[in-house]
Amino acid sequence: MTKKKFTIGVLIKQVPIPSQMRATKEGLMDRSVASMMNPYCKHALEAALQLKDTIGEDRVEIWVASMGPPNFEQSLREALSMGADHAVLLSDRKLAGSDTYATAKALSALLNTLGVDFDIIFAGLQTIDGDTAHVGPQVAERMELPHVSYVEGIEYKGDHLIVHRILEGGSITYKVPLPCLLTITNTANTPRGPRLKYAIQARKKEIKTYSVADIGLKDDEVGLIGSPTIVWRVKNVTHDRPPCQFMEGETVEEKVEHLLQAIASPQVEEEKTEV
Amino acid sequence: MSSNNASKNISNEIKTVDFRKGARGVFVWGQITPEGFPHDVAYELLGIGREIADKLETHLTSVLIGHNVKQFAEDLIHHGADRVVIVDDPKLETFSVLPYTRVITSVIEKLKPEAFLFGATTFGRELAPRVAARVHTGLSADCTMFDVGEYVNRRRKQRFEKVLRMIRPSFGESKLATILGPWTYPQMASARPGVFKPLPKDTTRTGEIIEFAIDFKSEDFLVEVVDVHIAEGEQVDLKGAKIIISGGRGVGEEGFKLLRELVQILREKGYKAELGASRGAVEAGYISSKHQVGQTGTIVRPDYYFAIGISGAIQHLAGMKESKYIIAINKDSEAPIFSVANYGIVGDYQDVVPLLIEIAKKGELTFPDL
Ligand SMILES: Cc1cc2nc3c(=O)[nH]c(=O)nc-3n(C[C@H](O)[C@H](O)[C@H](O)COP(=O)(O)OP(=O)(O)OC[C@H]3O[C@@H](n4cnc5c(N)ncnc54)[C@H](O)[C@@H]3O)c2cc1C
Ligand SMILES: Nc1ncnc2c1ncn2[C@@H]1O[C@H](COP(=O)(O)O)[C@@H](O)[C@H]1O
Repeated sequence: MTKKKFTIGVLIKQVPIPSQMRATKEGLMDRSVASMMNPYCKHALEAALQLKDTIGEDRVEIWVASMGPPNFEQSLREALSMGADHAVLLSDRKLAGSDTYATAKALSALLNTLGVDFDIIFAGLQTIDGDTAHVGPQVAERMELPHVSYVEGIEYKGDHLIVHRILEGGSITYKVPLPCLLTITNTANTPRGPRLKYAIQARKKEIKTYSVADIGLKDDEVGLIGSPTIVWRVKNVTHDRPPCQFMEGETVEEKVEHLLQAIASPQVEEEKTEV
Repeated sequence: MSSNNASKNISNEIKTVDFRKGARGVFVWGQITPEGFPHDVAYELLGIGREIADKLETHLTSVLIGHNVKQFAEDLIHHGADRVVIVDDPKLETFSVLPYTRVITSVIEKLKPEAFLFGATTFGRELAPRVAARVHTGLSADCTMFDVGEYVNRRRKQRFEKVLRMIRPSFGESKLATILGPWTYPQMASARPGVFKPLPKDTTRTGEIIEFAIDFKSEDFLVEVVDVHIAEGEQVDLKGAKIIISGGRGVGEEGFKLLRELVQILREKGYKAELGASRGAVEAGYISSKHQVGQTGTIVRPDYYFAIGISGAIQHLAGMKESKYIIAINKDSEAPIFSVANYGIVGDYQDVVPLLIEIAKKGELTFPDL
């Protein structure tokens, strides 16, 4: 009998590029703008790929999973071209408006549907759009897996992991059994770029798409109606700090001279003109 | 039919509802640091928690978890708690998410709070979502404001009274979103550290202290604590400094020598100056993490903050953007640090810092009002 491969799941989300981030009229994230793989998810994928390098390429299988509109395929293909083996997408209009509780419910149902016995699931610590750091721990709770957040270092020890997690002014080292879920920080590693040999395969690979019905959930368990929280109002933040004043000058000496003057004579509050 | 009439009809059908099912009281987590003392945020939560509890006309409870923590209970009462729930166990000495989740969910099931707040520290952000998923309630992350008010949901024809409004920065901090969740209880949120003000200590305040026993399960201890590492060494007083000279990854090991020198000169000139750093610099090994400013470092509010070779990642900004004046020096004119800076120099630190040192030596780098 051949032992099953060591199986890693990576949760990947696509996010708007920061300069394009904006709200729709309904106060939801506008997902029609140019987007990219959430940076923390890239670090999570890199952690998976490094583990694959450690354990052995042909002994490890990496699944990347995402929930979102069809254009999330872009990030899944990128993950494949970095070296992931399989990609799946949960995509259904009924998911719109899901909060982190409903998202975690859907993602864990998706992972359970795959019929794969995961040894480790990686998630990004947080997304740069939702910025909650909720989904990883909530998927772990639903899948009854132990988890550690804020992971910066992982040592593979066969039947368990030694995990380093950062905290304010230090770190904690934990011994974590398998299977488990870890959420990865942006200081954990430097993600690799796409590799030519995978990039070619990635273009041809099928990305299987699942609907809410496919993962065995009812319509009212996800989306706005399945979410315990709602976004009630969105307001613009007014900045009280004036925009940055760049020090001018031909030479560094001149710039520094201007800085000294600026520090010595703090700006007078600009008169506010009512529009 | 006029639209006026239509809205009248709808509002007639709206029913006032309440899903609290008797849940009462605001609870806050009295987080203990790895060194064994209450975290600043434990007091900050009592400050905002008191305000919310008063608006909800209910009581405020702090939940203190750890080992040998009873000694802090009275102090929490002096800072606003009506009640302190203590869960004391040697196994809880160091934070670990599974046993802490068991503790908090047991407290919730037994004492039925209507609101539960956590500090959005690295521990709080690990713990709160796991708890929320287990008790099947909503959670709002990293809030910077709270309020209480009415909420009408026209589609579901429901009107709620005294709903917790959880307000958080979103869309890359450019907007403030108000999150509500009046369908499930407790209403849960994490609150950004350093934002809310603790109440002044009032030693005449009295309250109740209850010790609470937990029925742990073996699976609560699947994860073992191997080691806790807290940065040691020289005393670094970032909180008390009036001027902070901070360096990032863009300032190498050599650069930090220059920054140290600048700090030293400013001190000799009588300024309370301190050396700061980004996590990037700490990670690269240029400097000890005691100097780190930001979400996982120290949150600072000096009069002058110099950010040198720091890109301005959101976690760094979270720790310094309340400084009175921010001066950024960076090669890259597009670096996000400039979005919060008052004054910027686009240039190489290797050119700028030696000049600043020279000028400071001559006593010509002066700061008004310091
Ligand atoms: C959970 C979590 C918590 C975190 N907590 C913190 C925290 O508390 N504090 C913190 O700081 N970070 C924190 N981070 C890390 C943060 O996200 C960034 O990774 C980090 O702040 C980047 O550090 P940096 O700006 O020094 O480095 P980089 O992002 O690498 O930026 C270096 C900058 O230096 C400039 N530069 C390069 N050479 C020169 C030169 N010769 N002269 C002038 N400029 C130059 C570059 O243009 C660049 O802008 C945290 C991350 C996570 C995930
Ligand atoms: N829609 C999604 N699809 C896949 N993974 C997600 C999704 N939302 C969140 N995640 C995962 O959960 C992490 C934390 O996200 P968040 O809770 O939104 O800050 C992300 O870095 C992803 O790994």
